Amino acid sequence: MSELRKKSPADLSAKLAGETRYLHDLNFPGQLVGAIYRSPYAHARILSINVERAKQVEGVAAVLTADDLPSYKYGPTKFKDWNLLAKDRVLFIGDEIVAIAAETKEAAQRALELVEVEFEPLPGVFDPEDSLKPGAPLLHEDVESNKPMQVSVSRGDLEEGKRKAAVVKGGRYYSNRVYQGHLEPVGAIASWSDEEGITIWAPSHIPYRARETYAAGFGLPEDKVRIIVPPIGGSFGAKYVLKVHVIAAALAMAARRHVKIILDRYEDMITAHPRVPLTFDIEIGADEEGRFVYKELTVYADAGARVYWSPNVVSTVCTRADNIYHFGSVKSEGYLCYTNNSPTTCMRGFGNAEMLFAVESVIDEIALELNMDPAELRLKNIVHQGDTTLHGYRLDTCKLDECIEKVKELSGWHRRASLPPYRGLGLAVANHVSGFRAIDPRFDGSTAVIRLKQDGGIEVETGEIELGQGMSLTYARIASKILGIPEEAILVKSGDTGRYPFGIGTLASRSTVMGGNAVQKAAQSLAARLKELARETLGEAADFREGAAVLEGQTYSLSELASWYRARHAGEELEIKETYVPDTDLPDATYFGHPSPNYPFAAHVAEVEVDPDTGRTKVIGYWAVHDSGTIIHETMAKGQVLGAIAQGVGWVTMEDLLVKDGKVMNPSMMDYRMPGANDMPKAEVFFIQGKDPNGPLGAKSIGEVALDPVPGAIANAIAHATGKRGYALPLSAEKVWKSLQNT
Amino acid sequence: MSAGQQDGNFKLNLNGQEVVWSGEPAASLADVIREQQGLTGTKIGCRTGECGACTVLLEGRPVVSCLIPAASVQGQQVETIEGLARLEEFQSLMAAMQENGGVQCGFCTPGVMVTTWAWLQNPALFNGDLGSALKNNLCRCTGYLGIIRSAEQVLAGRGAGV
Ligand code: FES
Ligand code: FES
Repeated sequence: MSELRKKSPADLSAKLAGETRYLHDLNFPGQLVGAIYRSPYAHARILSINVERAKQVEGVAAVLTADDLPSYKYGPTKFKDWNLLAKDRVLFIGDEIVAIAAETKEAAQRALELVEVEFEPLPGVFDPEDSLKPGAPLLHEDVESNKPMQVSVSRGDLEEGKRKAAVVKGGRYYSNRVYQGHLEPVGAIASWSDEEGITIWAPSHIPYRARETYAAGFGLPEDKVRIIVPPIGGSFGAKYVLKVHVIAAALAMAARRHVKIILDRYEDMITAHPRVPLTFDIEIGADEEGRFVYKELTVYADAGARVYWSPNVVSTVCTRADNIYHFGSVKSEGYLCYTNNSPTTCMRGFGNAEMLFAVESVIDEIALELNMDPAELRLKNIVHQGDTTLHGYRLDTCKLDECIEKVKELSGWHRRASLPPYRGLGLAVANHVSGFRAIDPRFDGSTAVIRLKQDGGIEVETGEIELGQGMSLTYARIASKILGIPEEAILVKSGDTGRYPFGIGTLASRSTVMGGNAVQKAAQSLAARLKELARETLGEAADFREGAAVLEGQTYSLSELASWYRARHAGEELEIKETYVPDTDLPDATYFGHPSPNYPFAAHVAEVEVDPDTGRTKVIGYWAVHDSGTIIHETMAKGQVLGAIAQGVGWVTMEDLLVKDGKVMNPSMMDYRMPGANDMPKAEVFFIQGKDPNGPLGAKSIGEVALDPVPGAIANAIAHATGKRGYALPLSAEKVWKSLQNT
Repeated sequence: MSAGQQDGNFKLNLNGQEVVWSGEPAASLADVIREQQGLTGTKIGCRTGECGACTVLLEGRPVVSCLIPAASVQGQQVETIEGLARLEEFQSLMAAMQENGGVQCGFCTPGVMVTTWAWLQNPALFNGDLGSALKNNLCRCTGYLGIIRSAEQVLAGRGAGV
């Protein structure tokens, strides 16, 4: 079958040989370079904009201000606070005011320097709590008190819980502004034609939602916007929907040429849409046996100046972790706050990982107070298979208990009592979803097209997006198992809203389960159709199995079947389209519902060594045990976990996008340090195998649940090593050192 | 390309072939390789020498091509991922990387492969393990262990074959 070897753009061997062409590597004849004039002020009134001199620069093809563009309010969520370019006011450092397209980078640069904007600086607000205080400068006139959203969740009798509590622990925790750290910087290429409308080449992993958003921005019907997704060089949430995509499109419409904008790393980082920083006031109570009786939470989230995906992050913060323990009763208040910082958005873990940092820290504090093993305390309180959780998640499968037992065994948890000074072992657990109903209340399933090609190969088309996580390999394997043909004969295609079926896109860890179920369904239908085709052609006794039609010991290959089909259907190819509609319930107004087909779980243990002289933490061992149902592609699944461990090590011990008065203080990869090969601990990954009835081949998701427990596990290990609890991420050398000084 | 009066013609030995390029002498080697020679396997992640996506071999040693003025390497051997990918032994490293999860999004991968290849040729050059050799190559996806395992596997396999 090697002659059938198919190469999708996401093919690993193409990546390894340097053949994969990312956005940066694509060029179109006559393409212009786009550049953006951005606000140097965090908050200011625009008094005047003069672009006359910029327009005179040789090689400049278009210069746009808000006056040249439609002024619809639009945005990717229900909060419509985006504009194409700023008109009267700028809201953060980096806010877009003028867009320029030119023949060369140099010409664009010269034109940028000649743009004249007169500003009247206004007072800004940079802290989410301050932004809610009376008298704080108002960012969006139509939103009262800088609070686009408030979440209130309450379940059970909190007062009763408080009365029963023998131990209460908690405090104020803080999760930091983490830069997604995608290796490929942000960019887009756009073109315009009267017949086709806007075409944008953008590494977005939610291209259909992006299409809807961008069409609204220009007042165009959706079918006048097409998004083509080149291979994505890492995103982790940073590349969903971006202003740079629409600005490229606006320039392309004006210049009637292709326009390419690639942000350099500095521009990428000063205008980055990092993880939403959160301030948590949290309290968990337990009775004297260690059974949790309540959890109370207030959280302030920094949305920055404009809403990207932060509202969904805040609802996750306020609910997700309540589905991992039986808390008895919970009450959460979440405030999403506008500030004059650059907008924030989602990052892998989507609020759950942040919340679990706080929750898992508090639980270790309770264990300490009760003089109980932290693993035992968790085992006493976790959810189990068959449970319906506090907010309505129905757990058809859950092997979290086994995860905890196994991770104890692998990590040598019993060593915990006898470790040398400044060494620590920390445990944390996590849950997640495999797709989430409320991401798009209209529909949360997925569609796949499967097609028999003339050469006997199979093509699978999906609306979900490969971003390096291994979706294409996973889908190929699902189809291969169902059809009984080698994976190499299957080509998975995606990433073009003009060609492939509609999809919500790859977020909320949905690709394996949502898209995978659609692929499974389509492959099953194709197998049935091929059997029929064999009978129509060869007679009733014919069968289709293991990738061939069989009759009386004779086999007929897939390419022969393709020819038969063609002969009978006017040259058409055999093509099947199937939609998977999950059996989920949209959470109601109180956030109660069953939002995902299934739920993955994990238990992690980290081992750290803290240098008491410097405060520096070295993660020296890591054990990750996962219940993700059937593991379809073990190498890729394991890669997800190892990558998440590295991201967690960075998050907890070094990464912090520092912002002062709205200005990013460390906008380079030198000053924003991310983990390198030597920061990675020895790590062991183990999958508790199982079969979830709602996942393709029994699978659940892995992408985000792999990161969710990491901050908690490392933070708990540091607390164990030093006897000091860290409340604010990152637990940098400086902070740990300081905590060691106040004895 | 801006037509400054310092522009000229320069010779480059790229993947074993002599090529001529014209432009500013200070143009970065990465840009010349990508834009003039069309070899887009060399990636640009930061342009400040931090990420390692643009790593190429200069006289057999890994260097970040975004920081090197192209005119300064005249007469020296430059090898990019495209050149290495033609070598037979490179295939075993590619296979190991797939098998061990050394690649995900792939953006860091050409640079990682170039460095790993150099390490395989002469581990001693880096006085230490591959982890140290990779200190200038960031990868945000894989967690590095798959990369390291792949290289060690190739090294061990080669040893066994001798
Ligand atoms: S692009 Fe050269 S090191 Fe990052
Ligand atoms: S594979 Fe994505 S950065 Fe390394």
